[in-house]
Amino acid sequence: MSYEKEISEKIEKRQPLPAKLDISVIKYFWQASPFTSSHRDHVPKFLRKIEVLKHFSDNELRILSKYLHKRTFSATETIFRQGDKGVGFYFVYSGHVEAIVSSESAQEMGEITNTASKHVVSLERKDYFGELALLQENNIRSATVIAKSSCDLLGIFKPDLENLIEEWPTVAARLLQAISIIVADRFYLISQEVGHLKYKILQLENK
Amino acid sequence: MRSRDRKFQKSDEFSKMFFFIFFFVVIGIIFTGLPRLAIPVGVAYVMGHLLMPLMQRLERLGLSRTLAITLIFAAIVIITIYPIIKLLPILAEEAENFQYYIPKIEKFIGATYVNLRNEVYQRTGLELGDKTLIDLVTYLKDGSRNLLMNLPQYLASLLEWMLLVPLFLFFYMKEVESVKRAILRLTPNSIFEKFYFLSHQFNNQLGGYIFAKIVEASIVGIIITTGLWIMEIRFAFLLGLIAMITNIIPYVGPILGLFPAILLALAEYGISSNFWAVIILYAIANVIDLALVFPILVSKIVDLHPLLVVASVILGSQLLGVVGMVISIPMVAAIKLIIHEIYLEIYPTGKE
Repeated sequence: MSYEKEISEKIEKRQPLPAKLDISVIKYFWQASPFTSSHRDHVPKFLRKIEVLKHFSDNELRILSKYLHKRTFSATETIFRQGDKGVGFYFVYSGHVEAIVSSESAQEMGEITNTASKHVVSLERKDYFGELALLQENNIRSATVIAKSSCDLLGIFKPDLENLIEEWPTVAARLLQAISIIVADRFYLISQEVGHLKYKILQLENK
Repeated sequence: MRSRDRKFQKSDEFSKMFFFIFFFVVIGIIFTGLPRLAIPVGVAYVMGHLLMPLMQRLERLGLSRTLAITLIFAAIVIITIYPIIKLLPILAEEAENFQYYIPKIEKFIGATYVNLRNEVYQRTGLELGDKTLIDLVTYLKDGSRNLLMNLPQYLASLLEWMLLVPLFLFFYMKEVESVKRAILRLTPNSIFEKFYFLSHQFNNQLGGYIFAKIVEASIVGIIITTGLWIMEIRFAFLLGLIAMITNIIPYVGPILGLFPAILLALAEYGISSNFWAVIILYAIANVIDLALVFPILVSKIVDLHPLLVVASVILGSQLLGVVGMVISIPMVAAIKLIIHEIYLEIYPTGKE
């Protein structure tokens, strides 16, 4: 019995029909196929999910993704060290990284010790770090960043920014706008903190 | 588990680094060992640097890259074909005449030398040896004879270049970004940022230097050629071309370019108004170059001390001849960049 006859009989007998085509399964297999170039879209899609890049249009994200470099780090590998000269801004594409700020004295000793002077921040997918490197003329890294697990990072570097400004000025402006937002937010927090601390100092002095 | 992981990572990093260095060493060996390949690639690289901004502008208008390059190539052919057709026969004729001219120069040098020797003998009672003179004359004769004997060979390699340079240029302009990305993908993580930044800076400096040099040489060449042509000096185009090519060599070049002009003018006109006119013309061209073009264009791009420039030109000529003189400045600029970076690494200037 052919499939069509079976279906038409079932309709006549008002029996329940077999399950319809599952579009999402087909979509899955389509995307998993090595012949489609959809893996190229992954980076713009990933960038879309990042909060600070929300001003970008889809096309601008696609252009930006061409200027990003995917760098793979294995676990415990150092991405950069505190005090290094920096030229790159990174997004965490997958995996975990850890930023470690050691205090001045520990730095001068020439070693990063396991004391309380260490301040650790853990960064995951969609987080970013090193944005000041794109803005400052001679950027010195203010933290050491180490890969916690094997991870992929998307980096954009000073030369890329220069090319971007030349070739796609609007995209470059959007990127700089995004970095300005990050920096401005941080500056606002810090100035609030400073105000708070000043007030505390004043209180202590008055005692 | 973790220590094993670290071990694996270290060997991975090591092999990456090894492969990266190996890659550059192999490329270096290929290029120094095969000048027949290296020269057209070098010319294509220089021209690519010059044409890249034009291509990017066309691309921004919405043209595909291949179409943009094709348009640029067509424009070059159309713009250069008329002057080449006009100038080549003149240059060929002048070069041919020049060969018949050599005996005259030889005679002139001989006569001047005899006069000089007599004068020196009368004044000081010393006799000058003629070894240097004979050397000079034989050098001149041999040089021109070699040039003529090897002319077919030069023409053959010129034809080869005319075929190879556009080919390399086309693919350089089309693929440069993907090649750059491929090299960057090979770069080990530990030196990635430094390598990328330095190579970018060096490329920019080199591109600026080449552009400035070509503009400078063209300005000097055009001034000298038109000046000589207006004064109706013989071999105006040949001398202009020589002045233009030698001008690429910093500091020493203008003197090298002046030398044949002085010899020719002396042999042809003696010390007359024409001779002084030639000298003044060269002086004017070089003053314009030194006072206007060089400070504005070249020195800002390659920030090297004049002494260092002269020293590197001499070193380059010692090692690689004329080619060495031309490429010495960019090489020294690159080395300076790297040394400066290493210096900053070793002696950190603190927080800046």
